Amino acid sequence: MLTALAWKNIWRNKKRSAIILIAIIFGLWGGLLSGGVMMGMSESMIQTAVNRYLAHIQIHAPDFRKQQDIGLYIDNAEEILTKIRAHDSIESASGRCRLNGMAASPTSTFGVRILGIDPHDEKKVTRIQDKMVRGQYFNSDRRNPIIIGQKLADRLNLKMHSKIVLSFSDLQGNIHYLACRIVGLFNTASSRFDEGTVYVHSADLFRSLGQPLIHEIAVRVKKEDQVSLIRDKLNLQLTGVSVQTWKTLAPELAFISDMMLQFTYLFVAIILFALLFGITNTMLMAVMERIHELGMLISIGMKRFKVFLMILIETVFLSISGGLGGMALGWITLTYFTINGLDLTIIATSLESFGSSTMLYPFLPLHMYLILTIMVLLASTMAALYPAWKAVKIEPAEAVRTEM
Amino acid sequence: MALIEINSLHKTYNTTAVPVHAVNNVTLHIEKEEFTAVVGPSGSGKTTLLNMIGGLDQPSEGEIIIDNTNLNKLSTSAKVDFRLHNIGFIFQAYNLIPVFTARENVEFIMLLQKRPKKEREERSNELLKAVGLQDRMHNRPSQLSGGQQQRVAVARALASRPNFVLADEPTANLDSVSAESLLDLMEQLNRTYQTTFIFSTHDDRVIKRARRVVTLRDGKIDYDKQNVQTVSGE
Ligand SMILES: Nc1ncnc2c1ncn2[C@@H]1O[C@H](COP(=O)(O)OP(=O)(O)O)[C@@H](O)[C@H]1O
Ligand SMILES: [Mg+2]
Repeated sequence: MLTALAWKNIWRNKKRSAIILIAIIFGLWGGLLSGGVMMGMSESMIQTAVNRYLAHIQIHAPDFRKQQDIGLYIDNAEEILTKIRAHDSIESASGRCRLNGMAASPTSTFGVRILGIDPHDEKKVTRIQDKMVRGQYFNSDRRNPIIIGQKLADRLNLKMHSKIVLSFSDLQGNIHYLACRIVGLFNTASSRFDEGTVYVHSADLFRSLGQPLIHEIAVRVKKEDQVSLIRDKLNLQLTGVSVQTWKTLAPELAFISDMMLQFTYLFVAIILFALLFGITNTMLMAVMERIHELGMLISIGMKRFKVFLMILIETVFLSISGGLGGMALGWITLTYFTINGLDLTIIATSLESFGSSTMLYPFLPLHMYLILTIMVLLASTMAALYPAWKAVKIEPAEAVRTEM
Repeated sequence: MALIEINSLHKTYNTTAVPVHAVNNVTLHIEKEEFTAVVGPSGSGKTTLLNMIGGLDQPSEGEIIIDNTNLNKLSTSAKVDFRLHNIGFIFQAYNLIPVFTARENVEFIMLLQKRPKKEREERSNELLKAVGLQDRMHNRPSQLSGGQQQRVAVARALASRPNFVLADEPTANLDSVSAESLLDLMEQLNRTYQTTFIFSTHDDRVIKRARRVVTLRDGKIDYDKQNVQTVSGE
């Protein structure tokens, strides 16, 4: 009956309750939406990086990442690839020959990272094929085909089908030249990557180098949330190589993703903190205009603890109604955008420089809603303390005097 | 021993520039089943006296012993419990919870007493019938007239099976017809349930109806007389 009374009391002053409800609903909605956009942005940045080059897991010879030396190749790469592909949890794997070298056009040269790949394998791991602006992803019978970034082509004054000469040294330090034909241009929205990366058939590189050299195995897993688990499994299974997830390979991305989550909490906490004062004020008004009635209740024998509890329950009911409303609205909006995407073409340029795509898919992890509910409960309890304390401090002898 | 023993009771308010001696050396014994009116002009100390009897206010001096319990010896929270189980209250206004129906208002006090649902329902039915509101049980206070609201308050006061009922100017906000009928009701309940009533008023008409009239003037008892003759006139 105390809860029934509290619930009924909320609706005594409909206008006032409605105002604070709307404030809570829209406050939370805004918080959730901006949190969702931030999460979507960080997720988009991660996906962009994963799909461009990073993949979920990379395997190298132990010191390769530090020294990037051509000699630090993976000894038994073919064997490892076979083992990895046998895993159920792994979607695909691609061996990459990774060399540092120069790309030269008739007019200029530029330092590049030369990636020798098997296109059939690589396109199952990353998605450069979706980023082609000219030509196609190694769909050509020309000799020594190469695909390069649009940016690099501009820098070197090259067009589709132009010739480009790559130079790199082999294991013995001899310089090799490889004349290639541009069969495709890509644009991944990362200027640095587009300027500094070229893809060729690994077989073409191996012919120059005189032997197959795989420096890097990129792995795509089926379930992204299991990536650490899979890394641990691979680490146990494979010896003499280092297995790392994208979180280790690109710590800044992992950090951003974590930060966005924290930031969303902080953001909502600040909104709730601001709302807290509104709720306190509403409840204080509710207590003040009910002094006679609360005094009467204490007079006839309602324990002060129960009066306190009643005001607390009223506050929590009010806040939780708004909180659930706001979360429902936020959830609906976010679900809509998670499915349909949020087109941010207007601010596309600034987003691209962040490495995020222009189509955003805002989302929030589900456990966030649970934590938010707890946060709303905490905030409303805090908001209730002062009004409830005021209610408890009512002097019944004074409150029941009508001349007050 | 009397149900209520008030011995040398004083109440002084020091909140104002000149201290107000609102109750000045009142000694009064009230027996079970009495129907006592405390009368006197406005400001004579009726509310202050009744608030102290009800344990709502602290005497400056003197003691109140109700059914062998000295109110001075009770802690604030023990007093709340004491009021819940021993005293029925009727105030001049703000008696009822506006969001509850008449019946819920009567049930609420029994709920505070943790009485079982069945008893709550039966007793609230019975009492609302006794105060003539069987048809208005499911109305909220705002849908009832002033007199009807006070009747609900009377039913609520009796619902807790108190030792006595304290009513501070229960008729002050009522027109004379409603006031009369509320007093009729209280008197009748006093007879049928043997409930002790102590009520205050500054209405002269009431004085004739009460069997015992305690008149206050400037916080002191001016008269304390039993007027038996008018009762037989009913
Ligand atoms: N809280 C208070 N502070 C100071 N004086 C008070 C207070 N309450 C009542 N009084 C004074 O005490 C006297 C008695 O008041 P009260 O008991 O309300 O009389 P009544 O109910 O007979 O009208 C009055 O003079 C009133 O002004
Ligand atoms: Mg008074």
